[in-house]
Amino acid sequence: MATLSLPGILRRSLIHRRARSLSALIALTVSAGIATALLTLYTDLDQKLHKEFRSFGANIVITASANVPLPTDALTRVQQVAGNDAIAAEFAYAVATTDTGTSVVVTGTDFAQVRRLDSWWQLDAWPDPNQTDAALLGQRAANFVGNEHSVTLTYAGKPITLKGAGRLRTGGDEDSRIYMPLPTFTAWIGIAPSVIELQVPGGAKRVETTIAQLKSALPEVQVQPVRQLVEGESRIVDRTHALMYGAVLLIALTVAVSVLATLSASVLERRRDFALMKALGGSQMLLMGMFLLEALVLAIAGVAAGFVVGSAAAFAISQLNFHTATLPHLSVLPLVLLVNLAIATLAALLPLRVLRTLQPAALLKGE
Amino acid sequence: MFFRLLMESFRRQRRRKLLAGIAILLGTTAVTAMLALATTIGDRIHKELAVYGANIIVYPKSDQLEVKVGGVDIKPASTGSYLKESDLEKLKGIFWANNITGVSPELRVSDQARQINTDSPSFTVSVIGLWFDHDFGSLRTGVAQIHPWWKLNGKWPPLVADADSWQVAVGSSLAKKLDLKIGDKFLLRRGANLEGGGFTAAYVTGIVSTGDQTDTDVLVPLPVAQAIANTPDAVSRVEISARTKPEDAFARQDPDKMSPAKHDIWYCSPYANSIAYQICEAIPGAQAEQVRRVEQSEGNVLKRISGLMWLISAAALLAAAFAVSAAMATAILERRGEIGLMRSLGASKGSIALLFYSETGILAIFAGTLGYLAGSGLAAWLGARIFRGDGGAPESILIPVLLPVVVALALAVAIGGSTQSISAALRMNPSTILREDA
Repeated sequence: MATLSLPGILRRSLIHRRARSLSALIALTVSAGIATALLTLYTDLDQKLHKEFRSFGANIVITASANVPLPTDALTRVQQVAGNDAIAAEFAYAVATTDTGTSVVVTGTDFAQVRRLDSWWQLDAWPDPNQTDAALLGQRAANFVGNEHSVTLTYAGKPITLKGAGRLRTGGDEDSRIYMPLPTFTAWIGIAPSVIELQVPGGAKRVETTIAQLKSALPEVQVQPVRQLVEGESRIVDRTHALMYGAVLLIALTVAVSVLATLSASVLERRRDFALMKALGGSQMLLMGMFLLEALVLAIAGVAAGFVVGSAAAFAISQLNFHTATLPHLSVLPLVLLVNLAIATLAALLPLRVLRTLQPAALLKGE
Repeated sequence: MFFRLLMESFRRQRRRKLLAGIAILLGTTAVTAMLALATTIGDRIHKELAVYGANIIVYPKSDQLEVKVGGVDIKPASTGSYLKESDLEKLKGIFWANNITGVSPELRVSDQARQINTDSPSFTVSVIGLWFDHDFGSLRTGVAQIHPWWKLNGKWPPLVADADSWQVAVGSSLAKKLDLKIGDKFLLRRGANLEGGGFTAAYVTGIVSTGDQTDTDVLVPLPVAQAIANTPDAVSRVEISARTKPEDAFARQDPDKMSPAKHDIWYCSPYANSIAYQICEAIPGAQAEQVRRVEQSEGNVLKRISGLMWLISAAALLAAAFAVSAAMATAILERRGEIGLMRSLGASKGSIALLFYSETGILAIFAGTLGYLAGSGLAAWLGARIFRGDGGAPESILIPVLLPVVVALALAVAIGGSTQSISAALRMNPSTILREDA
């Protein structure tokens, strides 16, 4: 006769009642999967939302003090302070005259940087970055230009002819300006950039630290936050964060209760096994221990499967919604494991009161 | 007999019914709350995004080109063209008038100011005439509402047409420069464009910090600026905040090149472009533009957040469906003995199935309705907690459309979840079930 060892009983119990073990495993896998997916999304949420807010453009403006131009290496220094993930663009302004004799603000800048910074600019096509005589005409400014394809501007008696690359529509001040590449601007007018627009990723805290650092690195210039952007961003991120938190708790609770119900029902159903083992001399503790062990083995298996499924779900959701991937976070694993183990333990121990009062003989007789 | 069975089943098996009922209740609560939040999140986030200011800007069509760098007019227009303040009433008549949540007209005037009791010469300041808390139909609106990030110390100047003195608000940098506190006065020239216009006392009712160029300006009620410039009824620019639908490819098309049917659809969609188009039609000589920095980016953020909420709602739905069907399956599994007994007493498979489905149905409808109420309450509570401080009482989210949807879902999931167990129990030989259970 084969000796009955604990692993043996466990193995047989899991294999013999395959359907029931499977349904318990599925329940625990679903709970682990949903917990993993939500927690993974939740971990990445702030970063993802802050990224969406990048489309609002610059959140810090660095302006030269009156009559003192920005130092020539200002852009490099700003970029150094703000970090490589920040986007900075410099602007130089002057007032020139168009071929129809109207005064117009002409701005020299780096089109490649502006394109990354101000993604809301609507234009037919961005000029070729290598083309030195390209000009973007604001839609209102364009009405005061005689020939939009060959734009002639005059500054202090010095004329220049630029190739119009198209109209620019923003609904802001940009509409009444003409933009051109900075080197061409400087060669023509000789005015250095006076404004650097900087976009720092991250929330209000990062913006504040960057401003403080910029102020100490460049004491001679004014550094100001774009207040409405910085304030609005943190408010909305905080609120979405709280909303997500509520949703995660709500869903987790629903799943936990249902898994608990399913599992404890399946333990209750095994009263007869329980009675038989008790009749054969198993102690209350030993039997409860066995039920518990079985539930825990299922819970761990559920976490393993659920983590994979949940990470895949989080990946899919974030691809679908944010168009960026969310990679699996191992850091959520302990919490998921803890939740699942707690559910399994509760599910095994809840029916304890019912089982303890059972008289094996009565149950086996079928009363 | 059928009804007695049904009733007795509910009376006698309270624990089992309670378990299944709780599962359905929790599931529908979660789904209702998530769906209610997801459907209202658009409006809520839009309100939050209002912090970015106006999304439509209106200016006179024949205006001269602004020569402005960093908010400073380098060459102020000497004789500009203006919009009429009285024409703004026409905004209430456009198709999407109800979507307009804020209107703020302004008139910029360059004026002379002088400190009182000193011999220092007068200097040029920029005076902006504004609405502060203006009654505009059903709306109280003005510059403070469009620029929620402005910080005001004191009060906005009240609208009094007092001929002898003016009440004004000053920007924080100007207040510092002139050493002005609330209640102090300084002198502003009346009739800047008129020769020999005298100075008038201006009392400071508030000091405003804006974080931009307006910090150096004097903010006055619109009629005061009109009096200074001697241009009654004139407005140089209007900022409008409107609830819009994020722009898509259709919204970007040129309305004048559309077919009439398409034009109607475009016209009747709350795109920023179509609202701007309607404003141009309503106000003579006006040019309206969407502020792309605000409009495009808001659309982006709004789309992402509501998309996230819908996906989470889908997750809630999945979780709830799983919870309910698992609970139902367990409930049936536990009652196989009953099924065996009924079969052996001669009940047909059909009538047994009907009995069980009816029980499930009653449970689903009852618990589903309760769950709908609980979920609506939860959504209102969550919404009020998270979005508190928006002003206004926490709005109750009782969306009637959700009731049939949620109950139907509960019904479908409960019946779907129990079908497999019922048919499995019915397939089994009654004697096997009875013996196994004995």
